[in-house]
Amino acid sequence: MQSKVYILGGYQTDFARNWTREGKGIQAMIYEVMEGAFTAAEIEPKEIQAIHVGNFAGELYTMQAHLGAFSVNYDPVLRGIPTARHEAACASGSIAALMARTEIEAGIHELILVLGVELMKSVDSKTGGSFLGTAAWYEKECKGIDFPFPKLFDRLYDVYDELYGVNYEHLAQIATINYENAKRNPKAQTRNWYMSKRHACSTGDYNRTIGTRLRATDCSQVTDGAAAIFLASQGYMRSYAKKHGLSLEKIPYIQGWGHATAPIRFDDKAEEARKSEYVLPHTRKAITDAYKRAQIEGVEDISCIETHDCFTITEYAAIEHFGLTSPGEGWKAIENGTIEMDGSCPINPSGGLIGGGHPVGTTGTRQLFDAYRQVAGKAGDYQVPGARRVATLNVGGSATTNVVHIIGSNS
Amino acid sequence: MDRIKKMAVLGANGTMGSLSGGIFAQAGITCIFFARSPEKAQRGIENAVKQARSDVLRDCIIPKTYDALEEELPDCDWILEAVAESLPLKREYFSKVDRFQKKDSIVSTISSSLSIEDMAKECSDDFKSHFMGVHFFNPPGKLLANEIIFHPNNSKEVKSFVSDFCEKMLRRVNIVTYNTPGFAGNRIGFQLLNEATIYAEKYGVEKIDYLLGPYTGRTLPPLATVDLVGLDVHKEIVSNIYEHVNDERHDTFKIPRYVQKMIDKKMLGIKSGGVGGFYRFNDKNEKLAIEPLSLNYKETEHFVDELIEKIKLHLHDGDYKKAINLIKNEQSDKIKLVKHFILGYISYSYSRIGEVTPPEIGIHGIDRVMSYGFSWLPPSAWVDFLGGPRETMKLIEKSDLPVPEQLKNLPEGRHCRIPEVTKYFIAC
Repeated sequence: MQSKVYILGGYQTDFARNWTREGKGIQAMIYEVMEGAFTAAEIEPKEIQAIHVGNFAGELYTMQAHLGAFSVNYDPVLRGIPTARHEAACASGSIAALMARTEIEAGIHELILVLGVELMKSVDSKTGGSFLGTAAWYEKECKGIDFPFPKLFDRLYDVYDELYGVNYEHLAQIATINYENAKRNPKAQTRNWYMSKRHACSTGDYNRTIGTRLRATDCSQVTDGAAAIFLASQGYMRSYAKKHGLSLEKIPYIQGWGHATAPIRFDDKAEEARKSEYVLPHTRKAITDAYKRAQIEGVEDISCIETHDCFTITEYAAIEHFGLTSPGEGWKAIENGTIEMDGSCPINPSGGLIGGGHPVGTTGTRQLFDAYRQVAGKAGDYQVPGARRVATLNVGGSATTNVVHIIGSNS
Repeated sequence: MDRIKKMAVLGANGTMGSLSGGIFAQAGITCIFFARSPEKAQRGIENAVKQARSDVLRDCIIPKTYDALEEELPDCDWILEAVAESLPLKREYFSKVDRFQKKDSIVSTISSSLSIEDMAKECSDDFKSHFMGVHFFNPPGKLLANEIIFHPNNSKEVKSFVSDFCEKMLRRVNIVTYNTPGFAGNRIGFQLLNEATIYAEKYGVEKIDYLLGPYTGRTLPPLATVDLVGLDVHKEIVSNIYEHVNDERHDTFKIPRYVQKMIDKKMLGIKSGGVGGFYRFNDKNEKLAIEPLSLNYKETEHFVDELIEKIKLHLHDGDYKKAINLIKNEQSDKIKLVKHFILGYISYSYSRIGEVTPPEIGIHGIDRVMSYGFSWLPPSAWVDFLGGPRETMKLIEKSDLPVPEQLKNLPEGRHCRIPEVTKYFIAC
């Protein structure tokens, strides 16, 4: 049996901030998220043995790559440790965590800092939309197209419509729930925005159709933000728990994970969807792999989910892929309140990507931090009562890279 | 919270009336927007729609003229008054409200300068017991601060209901303030803004805005802020404080003569369009700045001070400690002026604890109003950044400013409770 990898806390920046308007660069963001994480977890920089940074497109948004190296600027004691930047589109933050976990499981390191960093408001929306196109097969799917990603996910909407039929009101309800949850999250980007289901169902200048079907309220946000978590070995966790008077049983750890890659082109995914039980078979595989590794039966053993809702249709798909309903019946979990805050399996108590914000390379790390907060009982106003085990699904591209984590404790 | 189902805005054609009413509409409350004509009321609705960025808001706001007060007010659970800032006018409206309102409905005013007690003086006891100041900041869609100024006749239940409602339903950050001129935010904020107008006479408009720019913990430079507020409104707020308050910085509330001349010439700032204020744009869209002695506009001077640019660079990189140390330790004339304003802001804020906000909350009320109402770095965050109360007191003493008693009694350690205050340092 592999050794357990624990999460000892972390930090998230306020996703409502606009760092470009503040005149600040990516170094400031890295500095602040590290400062927040070290302060919150009461860990000294000198204890860190490696740093993994998730980032999607620093070189496009800020003309700055090589972000692993920037993390050691925080404190001279960090000079000399291994660092790396990881990129897998919107799943970059999760990939950084997978690498860190592997190093701890392999016994290479005892304590690793995982960062997710993305600064996106440095460019106008059209340019940023084009940059996001590099998460798909740019040359074949995005070149010369404005806002290519909503259009790619319009096609997922089309596939669902063709196979099972989609009632738009269910997508509007997903958006409404995410915005509503975000109001309880003091770091959520949209926490003070106006939203109602009637608004989500409306069309006009204030809720434009972005591609051919999905509207502004169906989309996640363009966000500046960073998140950090500390991953630790059992040995380090024991000494940390002793030092801070913590009960070993209550410390969250990674119980399971799944990582599966689909063909990058959406046409190929659409073809697979028509032949499979699940519309996104590789997403389903990442989820079932994580269930197996966590040695759980399925979603009935999960308290709540932080899923990738880059668009409402992505969360719509996640509902059935997690097993909350049979394929094609995700709408039932929307109608019967299963996914709401007081439902049997709330989805995105944090507000997710639609309500909370989606700094692309940060999202996976932010989801893990939220999962940690739920299991540790530290989620404040968006705490799911008694959350014991939380699943995250982080998707890169048009559901191409799929990463699932299951975080729980022994309490 | 369900108690408020329908509300009315008097003066819904104005910016603050329409935007404040819009916040109620966003909470799902049916609103009646009263104005002198249906067109003006409709304009208010469009303001609220634009603030919410949602067309559906239009469906829950009804435009009415004041002819419908008698018919509509008895159904309203909350009446928000936002008519022009004139005591006789407000009293005239309150007398009507008192006559038509149902028992127990809440009546609030958005006044930022008139006395709460004076406004309700001629009204019934029931009116007084449900009347208070609920002062949002402009624009309320972005600035969440809400100064609540209770009337002495408000019961504990009314106070607690209004506070809870504003926080939970309207998503406001409440700051209970006393019934003093300018309450908390304007008293402290406009002290600095007016002192900047005084200094501009000697140093020039662009130099003051450069030295006290956003890198000193504010979204906009001070004189650009006065242009945004409007010089007439600035004078109204500042003169009211000058006339009714005599504190240790009383002289800094006196409107400089050149500013009065600008007001006389209707050079009121952004609202005056091409006429301008401290700044204006010429036909070629070039930014010009006023020369206070002549009131002529000239091309803006672009100051570049090596030290200040260095401070901004540290802020850009997130190295706040290095940036603050430069402000703290450098002794050039320019930095001394910067320090005078920063330390003056700290000194003036701490000295107001107990006078404008309840003493038991310490600096936290003033911190909240300055950050959530003005988007300025709150005073206690400055104390933290400068190294704590002892260090700050030494700097205040060195700058020949009054050292507040409230600072002397503070233990060492961090005091600011506002999250992520670094966002107020703008490195531009």
